[in-house]
Amino acid sequence: MSNAATAASQPGHRAKPRPRRRELREVTLLIAIFAVVLGVGVLRPSFMSFSNIEFMILSSVVLGLAGISQTFVIITRGIDLSVSAVLGLSAMVFGLLSTTSSMPLWQALPLCLAMGAVLGSFNGFLVAWLKIPPIIATLGTYSLYGGLTFIYSNGLQVDQVSPNFAAFGNGNLIPGLPVPTPVLALAAVAAAAWFVLNHMKFGRNILAIGNNAAAAYNAGISVRRTLLAVYTISGALAAFSGLVFVAYTGSATATTGTGDHVELQSIAIALIGGTAIAGGRGNLAGTVIGSVFLSVVITALVFLQVPAIWYSAGEGLMILAAVTLGARRSSKA
Amino acid sequence: MKYLFPRQPWDRALVAILVALFTGFCILTPGFYDGFHGTLAITEEFLPFGFVALGLSVVILTGGIDLSVGSISGLAAVIMAILIKSYGLNTWLAVLLAVGAGGGLGWLNGQIITRLRVEPLIATLSTNFIYSSIAIALAGASPPYGFGHAFGELGTGAIAGWLPVQLVIFIVMAIGFSGLITRTGYGRRLVMIGYNRDAAHYAGVSVASVERRAYCISGVMAAFAGIVLASYYDAVRADMGDILLLTSITMVVLGGISIFGGEGGILGVTLAVMILGVLRQGMLIAGFSDMVTTMLIGAILLSSIAIKNLFSSRGFDLGSIIRRLSSLRPPERMASKS
Repeated sequence: MSNAATAASQPGHRAKPRPRRRELREVTLLIAIFAVVLGVGVLRPSFMSFSNIEFMILSSVVLGLAGISQTFVIITRGIDLSVSAVLGLSAMVFGLLSTTSSMPLWQALPLCLAMGAVLGSFNGFLVAWLKIPPIIATLGTYSLYGGLTFIYSNGLQVDQVSPNFAAFGNGNLIPGLPVPTPVLALAAVAAAAWFVLNHMKFGRNILAIGNNAAAAYNAGISVRRTLLAVYTISGALAAFSGLVFVAYTGSATATTGTGDHVELQSIAIALIGGTAIAGGRGNLAGTVIGSVFLSVVITALVFLQVPAIWYSAGEGLMILAAVTLGARRSSKA
Repeated sequence: MKYLFPRQPWDRALVAILVALFTGFCILTPGFYDGFHGTLAITEEFLPFGFVALGLSVVILTGGIDLSVGSISGLAAVIMAILIKSYGLNTWLAVLLAVGAGGGLGWLNGQIITRLRVEPLIATLSTNFIYSSIAIALAGASPPYGFGHAFGELGTGAIAGWLPVQLVIFIVMAIGFSGLITRTGYGRRLVMIGYNRDAAHYAGVSVASVERRAYCISGVMAAFAGIVLASYYDAVRADMGDILLLTSITMVVLGGISIFGGEGGILGVTLAVMILGVLRQGMLIAGFSDMVTTMLIGAILLSSIAIKNLFSSRGFDLGSIIRRLSSLRPPERMASKS
């Protein structure tokens, strides 16, 4: 894992191999997760129950998928604020379709990925071709896609989904193996993303662009097309996480995603997981563990009866802490 | 007359758009033109966006961004309401303290950005959520309302019965900001940092301290916008400022200030404030929903940067191509200039 990343960052300036740092981040996070689980479990014994732990892992799946999509974008030195709007739109569209026109899951899945890819590729077009800074481009599309959700929902909301959606969200794919389908889906996506990032030319191009876009261009990498692909993947993953969300919870409203500040959560997860905000370095294992960490911390806050209004403040503090305490590159001025 | 007319092509285009938009709404939307005073009073609905946009211009000129303006304005309004309601402070003293608190929050943004070296967008995205949590926690379940007649004059009053107080304050502030940016050393340092950070650093500019003050100014203006909103509605809600961000950034960018920093002026921002304000209120009066209006503003944000990038010498540079083509025909160019 670290071999491929350091190989990709060799052409960049002041690239020093950091062999132990990445594993350190994951181990620290795992220790933190166990500490929170044990600490809160002593105070509130029901926190350590099997059903609660299963709930925490399940609720981390949506976050994890959004976090992986954000990780890819952040590696290219970008940011995607529209993940929450795409998530909400996909949850709304396919939640409503599953009940009103009883669309089966096998149709919804490719349609959902295609819709997310189209929305994401529009982001990519704005960033790569029109040279709009990612933060502004995705802030604009955040309002566009969020508005689409409102218009599409037309005052309706999803309060139940068809049985095959519910089976996908809560059931076990392989009979006898007590692992819910969403967790398997996250594992598959994470493994695929890890393979793409660390063992494919495309992944190394992404890392190279994040390290130094000009150098990547001079080295013959098609920066525009790679960026377009990254934002497309990000949109597709965000839409997929919306599908998982609606299948798992069975509900969606016009403010799903945007109301919960999923964009903030996904950025927090990626940065906690050790992805560098300055680009060029990504840690998918860290992102997945980070999503479990965030889910555990939020559930712990619920158990400790901290009012919900403080959650987003906590996520903001987590981002600041992850950026300042994490391995920071020396920056000028 | 020659001096009254804007010299920059971008600003000229904005004037044309403003005139066309205003005339269009007056003719096409029944109820938009409501007498001279009534039409001027429309500005009261959107000038809070303009106050935020003025402060944000300073930050964007340095090449940074402040995503926390919405929550700063909400938090400042809540602080003001609490000072008045719970501590019985004099209204104007409370306003002053709340604006000061906004400056403090902006200063904190600046500290995080310059001392901890967090990127502006990440720092202000995080503080946005931290500030809004604090605002919601402070505001409690029932939003405070009723701050007296004198305070209401700030948001809804009119001088001599026709000139809105907000408009007067906005014009004075716009002239002040324009002077700050074009006529003072601080303003020139701001633009220089935005244009070329390293050059500014090597020219002896204390980049960090200039930036800290820029975020402080942005916080002060956001807080002021929150207080004007509180005065306009005669009530305070913690999430009152959430709508401000997107429209204000759009105003700054449509006004011709480069999102990369170092380019643009306050005149364009003022024109963009009027354009987007007229557009927003016109659409609301014409019966479009708030969501559609927000979507349209998002689209304007994207297209105005895209157009600017197409023409800018740092982007696709369509501008110099047109200039080169038009210089092939000098007589026509002379004619159009006079």
